[in-house]
Amino acid sequence: MPTNQSMPFFQPRDKVPVPPKNAEVLTTCCDYCIVACGYKVYRWPADGPHGGLRKDQNALGRDFPIGPMQGNWLGPNQFTQALHNGKLHNIAIVADGDASVVNPNGSHSIRGGCIAQKVYNENKPTKDRLKHPMIRINDVLTPVSWDLALDVAAEISKHVIKRYGEDAWAMKYFSYQFFENTYALTRLAFKSINTPAVAQHDHPSMVDSTPGMTDIGYDKFSASYEDFALADCIVISGTDPYESKSVLWNEWILQGIKTHQAKLVMINPRKTIKIAYTEQCGGLHLDVYPGSDTAVHMAIERVILENGWEDREFIDRWVANRWETESGFGQGTRNLPWQWRTTWGHFQVDGFEDWKGWILSQEESDPEVAARIAGIDPRKIYQAAEMMARPKPGGERVKTTIALEKGNYWSNNYLNTVSIGTLGVILGCGGRPGRVITRLGGHQRGGRSGGSYPAWKSPYKIPGRRRHRLDLDRWVEAGHVRFAYVVGTTWIQAMCGSQALADTIGKHTRGNAHQLRSGDRQHIIDTLKNRVDSGGMVIVNQDIYLIDPIGSRFADIVLPAATWGEADFTRCNGERRIRLYSKFYDPPGEAKPDWQIVAMLARKMGFDGYEWQEANDVFEESCRFGRGSSTDYNVLRTVARRRGIKAHDLLRSYGTTGLQCPLLLDGDKIIETKRLHDFERQDLPLTGPAGISVQDKKIMSFSTQTGKLNLLKSPWRLWADFYEFMRPRGDELWVTNGRVNEIWQSGFDDTERRPYIQQRWPDNFLEIHQDDAAKRGIESGDRVVIESKRVPVQKDFNLGIKDDDMWFSGLMKRHHIEIVTGSFEAVAIVTPVVKKGVVFTNYLDKGNPANSITPRVPDPLTLNYRFKLSSGTVTRIGESPYKHSFARMSFKRRNIV
Amino acid sequence: MNTRQPDPPRPGACLTRRSFLLHSGAAVTGTVLLCNIPGFEGISLAAELASYPRKRLGRLSELKDGEPVWFNYPDNSQNSGSMLVKLGVPAGGGIGPDQDVVAFNLLCPHMGGVLHGAYKAADQVIGPCPFHQSCFDLTRHGMIITGHATESLPQVLLESEGDDIHATGLIGLIYGHSDNLRP
Repeated sequence: MPTNQSMPFFQPRDKVPVPPKNAEVLTTCCDYCIVACGYKVYRWPADGPHGGLRKDQNALGRDFPIGPMQGNWLGPNQFTQALHNGKLHNIAIVADGDASVVNPNGSHSIRGGCIAQKVYNENKPTKDRLKHPMIRINDVLTPVSWDLALDVAAEISKHVIKRYGEDAWAMKYFSYQFFENTYALTRLAFKSINTPAVAQHDHPSMVDSTPGMTDIGYDKFSASYEDFALADCIVISGTDPYESKSVLWNEWILQGIKTHQAKLVMINPRKTIKIAYTEQCGGLHLDVYPGSDTAVHMAIERVILENGWEDREFIDRWVANRWETESGFGQGTRNLPWQWRTTWGHFQVDGFEDWKGWILSQEESDPEVAARIAGIDPRKIYQAAEMMARPKPGGERVKTTIALEKGNYWSNNYLNTVSIGTLGVILGCGGRPGRVITRLGGHQRGGRSGGSYPAWKSPYKIPGRRRHRLDLDRWVEAGHVRFAYVVGTTWIQAMCGSQALADTIGKHTRGNAHQLRSGDRQHIIDTLKNRVDSGGMVIVNQDIYLIDPIGSRFADIVLPAATWGEADFTRCNGERRIRLYSKFYDPPGEAKPDWQIVAMLARKMGFDGYEWQEANDVFEESCRFGRGSSTDYNVLRTVARRRGIKAHDLLRSYGTTGLQCPLLLDGDKIIETKRLHDFERQDLPLTGPAGISVQDKKIMSFSTQTGKLNLLKSPWRLWADFYEFMRPRGDELWVTNGRVNEIWQSGFDDTERRPYIQQRWPDNFLEIHQDDAAKRGIESGDRVVIESKRVPVQKDFNLGIKDDDMWFSGLMKRHHIEIVTGSFEAVAIVTPVVKKGVVFTNYLDKGNPANSITPRVPDPLTLNYRFKLSSGTVTRIGESPYKHSFARMSFKRRNIV
Repeated sequence: MNTRQPDPPRPGACLTRRSFLLHSGAAVTGTVLLCNIPGFEGISLAAELASYPRKRLGRLSELKDGEPVWFNYPDNSQNSGSMLVKLGVPAGGGIGPDQDVVAFNLLCPHMGGVLHGAYKAADQVIGPCPFHQSCFDLTRHGMIITGHATESLPQVLLESEGDDIHATGLIGLIYGHSDNLRP
């Protein structure tokens, strides 16, 4: 009988060279999720000699074969080759087996474990990196010099700003890709140009993701990873950290489950592998419908209050009372989000008793009502309250930690983040070991603002004499943007109602009559000026690959950026730990780090202060802009100068351990901050803040004017009209989306250029419950189309006068909402993992974006999109090639325990 | 129920170790090009099969659905523990009349967790790994279902000769090794 002819799609080598004892070792961290595991890069000449199998013969410091859990094993996906100073080198990138923080003993995820395959190599799938600046001439992206590309960008920018104002010059950029780059980009946009038309990769505006928590007084990233190992009960809302922050789960959450039987309450429409595991270990799964969380939070709060299980001591000490509330407990005095959110009195209370009375009076806080809204068994609400708050037999309080992520705050942004925050307050979360409330995070924390956002320039006037920050998508839709600088983001597919946005951007760029016909400098400048003068738009797209469609179809100028590993960079992780990410190989072609491109463009535009020679210059300049923030690393510059070294080099000396921000200085000693709001902290200088140390109140109390926590109401009626509209009708299902473990990077790495991941996920997928699938005749492996004929897109509305004008029903009544059609395709996976009535898909498949059908109506309170909340029909259109393949895609359920 | 059929033979010559040896007429070490892969023109499987030992594992007729048999391959070193199993449904690389007999190394390619005893017959998967819960699909060449392993579970290549089952090579690198043949 012959062997089955099937062969795996990804075919690894069965041997890997071992780095020799004298290999160069550089430290870095993973480029992907917020956990940012520490990695070591081993570099040695391609022609060897290689290392031996005994630990005294190799740089890994291990005897081969390496045994279980010894760390530092080097598999085929951890190995590549790259040019260093023009010479070919072997590169091995291995999770740091000597790490004691973040990823002890070299623990790693599938994503970081494959990060060597991110490295540019002209013989590998990364070979199509952008290498030269290009201008679209006769609809062909034609390589040109840096000088010409930036001359044109600068000339058009100056023309647009002069003739149409700063707000016609827009920037859409990543919020996270290293302090040096974000500092340079925002310096240009805010300080030099001073435009309000700026938005980050995941929002239509410059806004806060968890504003409810912020208004209460909690920092978004207050926790230390140690807290997850210390808690007795961990509430995880809107994510499964195993799927997207794997090492946080494996090394910290699991530690608590194994050492002291920590119990988990997971709020999620899917029963993922870790939720199934959690249930086995005495945990609880609240399998809610998308967007129903607020009612569930309020019902849990009610059960806690009715039983008197709230943390009275903490509440008495830390909750603002009526006097403190009325004496201006907001975050400032004028025109900040807080002020206008409170203008109409929807949220404020007069201290704890007033808030308690409000919760007890709400229909939605009745466990039966909340359970009906969420589609769960009401007994689970009582169980959850007991697990979080019922004192132990001896009367001791349960140490409860709350962690939330996008399923929570991108379905019902303000109310969910308020209601989970108030739950935290009554549970005594904040500042004590194992008792914290925090975001888990998505991308790493690499944002540093080089200027202030000019909020007063935003035209979005809302009730209460307040302004929203500018909604860039709506601004584009209305035809106000003449020049857009798009850096490191797909923009279109990453935004809600993406099909409609693509149509608009296409119309303003390629749809315009003024297109380049020759490479002549003057022709290019004149034509593009004519473009913008005729109402069109010019796009400059700066990225590492040619991105479809923003770069490949719409951009006039494409600029090649250097990335992770190609320059020295710095960034913080989800516990505010800053590390240096070393350069270890040459960028491809003429690619340059983003900060350097910004500097070249800014100089051509005539701005001062962009004379940086190297990354460290930008870093040192950025230091003072973070003072007082949760990622304050300003003391690095001071200490480095005292020692006569560069701040980058000082940070480099801390390797993969880095330093936990905010950093304070006591004499010459750098003091780290393990967790924020730590009111029991003893290690601060007795002399108080002095010199360059800024001891912000969030370090030992909370982030409000009084330093106390504000309890807030979360009235369901403010959201009910929109939720009712989005609820599935007829044969529609809830359509939600998120990450799966194997895919982090949506735009260029994992599913696009990594055969190992491409075999697992060759196409977009849709998890559908077996009952919903059977009704539609769908089997695993079938190709399906998910469609909505009622995607709401908010086209305009810049002026609001009455309170109701801004709510969804008010916008509908006043014709500010256009209803469009959207669809995307996927390969069906029939599974019991997802709740009946709900389907789940990848959060961003560039070719088939789930955002085609997500509502482009941001939360009117906070301008966050509701990415996780859509509905649509699911129809079988045939079989995918994977249905009968052994080589690609697995249809096995993901929650086998 | 599993209705899937094996992948059709791909264009280009697909040599098994056996036919390669027959055609070359000698014991050869070196790279054998097995298959061209759609979408990755020019990249071929480079498994130095000819240098792998040929090891008899047992008889097809003695295997029962879902009951694994354990063996070591390609040698008896500490990391070479492997599992032979008749899945009961056709699988990539499966042999036997139902193309459902496959074999895999049993160390998780993440951090070396031992997967002995982790076979779930109802789903034809192995896992979750006791260390960090990686799971592998044995009908799909050991592809990761979910978890952290950066390689598929190494698949032991099988051939049948009459009723006899032989191990003839490995796809992928065994955890803890730098070379499958240099323990």
